[in-house]
Amino acid sequence: MNLTIDVSHKEDVAYLTLVGEVDAFTAPKLKDTILPLTKEEGQVVEVDFEQVNYMDSTGLGVFISALKSTKEHNSEMKLIHMQDRVYRLFKITGLTEIMNIDSTVQGGM
Amino acid sequence: MDFQSCVNIKKEWDIVGARQLGRDIARKIGFGTVDQARIATAISELARNIYLYAGTGKVCFEALEEIDHKGIAIIAMDNGPGIQEISQVMEDGFSTSGGLGAGLPGVKRLMDEFDIHSEEGKGTEIRVVKWLR
Amino acid sequence: MSTLKLDLENYKELLQEYIRTKDEQALYQAEQFSKQSMQHQISPDEIINVHIQSLQEIYPEMPEYIQSSMNFLLETMISYGLAYQEHQSLREKQLELKSEISVAANMQKTLLSTVKPELDEVEIGALSVPAKQMNGDYHHFVYDNQGNLGIAVADVIGKGVPAALCMSMIKYSMDTFPEMRMDPSVILGSLNRVVERNVDSSMFVTMFYGLYNSNDHTFSYSSAGHEPGFYYHKETDEFEEIDVPGLVLGVSADTAYTQYKREVKRGDMIILLTDGVTECRQGERFIEQDEVLDVIKSYSHLPPQDIVDQVYRHFERLQDFHLRDDFTLIVLRRNV
Repeated sequence: MNLTIDVSHKEDVAYLTLVGEVDAFTAPKLKDTILPLTKEEGQVVEVDFEQVNYMDSTGLGVFISALKSTKEHNSEMKLIHMQDRVYRLFKITGLTEIMNIDSTVQGGM
Repeated sequence: MDFQSCVNIKKEWDIVGARQLGRDIARKIGFGTVDQARIATAISELARNIYLYAGTGKVCFEALEEIDHKGIAIIAMDNGPGIQEISQVMEDGFSTSGGLGAGLPGVKRLMDEFDIHSEEGKGTEIRVVKWLR
Repeated sequence: MSTLKLDLENYKELLQEYIRTKDEQALYQAEQFSKQSMQHQISPDEIINVHIQSLQEIYPEMPEYIQSSMNFLLETMISYGLAYQEHQSLREKQLELKSEISVAANMQKTLLSTVKPELDEVEIGALSVPAKQMNGDYHHFVYDNQGNLGIAVADVIGKGVPAALCMSMIKYSMDTFPEMRMDPSVILGSLNRVVERNVDSSMFVTMFYGLYNSNDHTFSYSSAGHEPGFYYHKETDEFEEIDVPGLVLGVSADTAYTQYKREVKRGDMIILLTDGVTECRQGERFIEQDEVLDVIKSYSHLPPQDIVDQVYRHFERLQDFHLRDDFTLIVLRRNV
């Protein structure tokens, strides 16, 4: 159970590629990576979930605080390529309504 | 007998110099092999802290002689950033050097007396003493 | 042998005897010596020192290179000795923390305790088991003597102490609400503002609030991003997911919650749960939703309390008796 986070930048967009599981053990690392990015005004943070097969509520918490931070700092967050299991979590918690989530690749319903 | 001698700590190699001088003084005072090893380890730890966190500083040694007992005092001084939360660095398990060092609690265990003064932005002075039994 | 002395003389004798006889007996005593040393918190470098001194006394003519090599060994063991002492002191601290947490856990239990109402119209089964000492799940029953039964099921993100602290806050807020019958959507709306104001930005709470009216057998409910429960139709012997939209508590202050209402027929069941039930894992495999329902169905002939107990036992066994998350399951059945 591990998570690797790859960050690359292209113009105003920061691309985060996650590989592995987001849980109570890996969430702090993700938070430390993503939060500073959302604090830059105008920054677009795009998170690729294609290789995330599991996420628990702690992971959800990271994205909730990232979302709050984007609103505070005028930045933007986009979650892409989400697998069904992970998408379900965002759906149940009502977050799909307030977050920019694109789940086209794995067909997240 | 009351003299003080110091080693400046600027590079990692100076840690060895401080150990050597401290061990020589400890031997002259009459400390046995184990205590020499303990004193040297404490010196290493103090000197490494200077090297890692303050950049430069010095470690001084004092041979102590009182009516009924002899001992060695080691004083580590630097003008580094200082320590914000002394109680925190004195806590077991809290070691910012990646858990590999014995940390200040280790130094305290190795020695008989331990005293620390630190001011943020000004520096740190640690004085430790070991008595000859 | 039991009064083994931890001194130089003793060690020297043992060593001497072993060198002379190569006897297992001496080795066994060496083992006892090391165990006693640990009991007296004697660090490894001290034992090496005793060894060096014994050698010097047994072999006054010991070659210089052996003496040096022993000193070298001693030097390398000093840090191990320190690490050992640190380990000991951390162990003591850990015990202290453990007992503190268990006191806190007991307080929490008292604080969050709820009484399951015994009603003729609806029968209730409820079970909540924490994965660790403190429970991040919460459920609560309120009965107003006019036939209204309020049921809250909540889950705080994360586990352990922070989750428990947050739960206690929720419980207190709920207690301050007026005693009269309240609509689920109103309750969730006010709780959302409490959580949004008082909790860390990465912390959130999911809650399902239901109100069972035992006069006309209707069930009104709202959900704040909570794990969907199930509705069991007795007539068709089928489950239906109670999937209602609603944002988790604590994300956005002005969230409004929609309230839904349905009629409950005789023998029908309402099943409320937390993700500790649906996120069960068997090894690396996740339990599918259908499996959860199959298990519930297989016990559906039993009284509700027996259903929840049996379902818990089933999943506890499936996960090798090691819960990964707090587990809460509530079953309501209309009897008359």
